[in-house]
Amino acid sequence: MIELIDVVKKYRIGAYEVTALNGVNLKVDEGEFVIIMGPSGSGKSTLLYLIGCLDKPTSGRVLIDGIDTSKLNDRKLTELRRDKIGFIFQQYHLIPTLTALENVELPMVFKGVSKGKRMRRAEELLELVGLGEKKDRKPKELSGGEQQRVAIARALANEPSILLCDEPTGNLDTKSGKVVMDIIKRLNVEEDVTVVLVTHDPSLKVYGDRVIRIRDGRIVDAG
Amino acid sequence: MLVELALRNLARTKVRSVLAIVGILIGVMAISSIGIFGESLKAVVLENFKDVANEVIITPDYTHGYTSISERTVKKIESLPYAEMVIPVKSTSSLVEHRGKRTYATIYGMDLEKVKSLFELKSGNYKGCLVGSKIAEFFGIRVGEKISIAGREFRVDGIIREGARFDINPNYAVILPMREFNRLFNVEYSMVIVKVSSMDKIDAFKRAVERVVNRKESKVSVLELKMIVDRLKKVFSKMSLFLMAIAGISLLVAGISILNIMLMSTIERTKEIGIMRAIGAYRETIMMIFLLEALVLGLIGSLIGGALSVLGGYAIDILILKTAKFVFTPSSIFYIVLGVSFGILTALVSAMYPAWKASRLEPIKALRYE
Ligand SMILES: Nc1ncnc2c1ncn2[C@@H]1O[C@H](COP(=O)(O)OP(=O)(O)OP(=O)(O)O)[C@@H](O)[C@H]1O
Ligand SMILES: [Mg+2]
Repeated sequence: MIELIDVVKKYRIGAYEVTALNGVNLKVDEGEFVIIMGPSGSGKSTLLYLIGCLDKPTSGRVLIDGIDTSKLNDRKLTELRRDKIGFIFQQYHLIPTLTALENVELPMVFKGVSKGKRMRRAEELLELVGLGEKKDRKPKELSGGEQQRVAIARALANEPSILLCDEPTGNLDTKSGKVVMDIIKRLNVEEDVTVVLVTHDPSLKVYGDRVIRIRDGRIVDAG
Repeated sequence: MLVELALRNLARTKVRSVLAIVGILIGVMAISSIGIFGESLKAVVLENFKDVANEVIITPDYTHGYTSISERTVKKIESLPYAEMVIPVKSTSSLVEHRGKRTYATIYGMDLEKVKSLFELKSGNYKGCLVGSKIAEFFGIRVGEKISIAGREFRVDGIIREGARFDINPNYAVILPMREFNRLFNVEYSMVIVKVSSMDKIDAFKRAVERVVNRKESKVSVLELKMIVDRLKKVFSKMSLFLMAIAGISLLVAGISILNIMLMSTIERTKEIGIMRAIGAYRETIMMIFLLEALVLGLIGSLIGGALSVLGGYAIDILILKTAKFVFTPSSIFYIVLGVSFGILTALVSAMYPAWKASRLEPIKALRYE
């Protein structure tokens, strides 16, 4: 379960201050599929990164499974990201020097999973996203849609309970976008993974249980 | 897997990695080669003195008014423990002539049997009168010809091979058997050369001299050649340390270049660092990846450099010392290990700051970095 209480996030650029989030209260239940929509610059990514413990709020609190993340040190936050959260980004963000299989293995390397075990799991996951054949390719040798599917497999490596997606189809054509969305939806339904997904594309609304609208750092419609 | 990641990152910027390796290689090679050379130089010099290291020279204690050593004192010295061979020496300066040419030379009186252990001969044998090579050259004299010393004629029986000693300069010496010397000159002993049974007994022997000979008055002083040899050793060690320090500068330069390329790659890989932090890499893990990369550079460069330094040491030895027989010694291994360790250490130390910097990147800033 995800809970945000009076979250404010301000960025400082020299003498200026930008308020990216201005008092956000939000609750996402376990197994829920939430879609976040809003104009560019409204604070969607910021919100997602705060949930993902990649950043800390200026004020307010972020709770993941009841744990107040503001009370955790860097090491504990890292472990929380590693074990509970999977990220999917618009630009895929794979490590270019590693093969598809190795990219999927990486979160398990950080967790200290043994070589045999993590290879088996990585192969399973690539199979799941339909890339069993291409596991030894480097990201460069894969299409955008394929790279995004590798990124999904990587996000699932340590069996997270939360999947955070920042415009996962933003760089994809309609067809590969649908493949990606279908995989995410299946995980949500079959594995009960909580999904928070940011998008500009209204056609994706059908995948979510709820659509949250955000404007100028505030939630204007909690769905 | 982290090792693989490090290797692939290095392969990504091949030219840079190779240059860094070459830098370390040159530094290590410079240090180790010079270390090997320094040790060889020391060995070459010490080889010339290895026979004299257990020798002790006893001279009159001039500071207490003694200008010679008496027969009684010599007898006492001969009775001391650890004195394996005692060579009493008389000497004086005298006119030497041959076919109208004349010069002053130092004439030594010694037991010819014992002279064998001090000097080698270029020609002739240890029988009557022996002359130094420079004296022989000056007169243009050969074995069997005659010279006159203080007005008496002697047949030259041997010419001493060129060499160097601290007590007697063999090149300008004229040596007579003690009996002949005593016929010409009436002087007491000017020094006593003692070969002590082994080097570590020298101190015990010196104590015995103090106890037996110098008990009432300080009649003689004792000079150990070991001390001079030790001094020499120290001087050469310092010199080679100094040379190695200069060679170390090249390693320093290599270190700076590693620092530089690592800083570059932390900037280039900012985004990757952010991704890895996002999916669960600790700060230490990021640090480790960078240190691993440096370690690989350091290892490759140092090991090749260490291997090549055998060639380097060989080349310098041949060039300067004209011999390579001291290259393959245990001390060379020491200098190779030293150079290799310094190489690896340099790489690691240089990578410390970039690795630390990479590990401090905030994941969010790194991810948003374009
Ligand atoms: N590191 C930063 N420094 C300064 N300002 C920032 C930073 N990150 C985001 N902002 C600002 O915060 C606001 C919200 O940014 P955010 O990226 O969350 O928007 P977004 O809704 O994801 O937009 P988009 O749809 O274009 O991705 C914007 O005004 C942005 O300029
Ligand atoms: Mg965004």
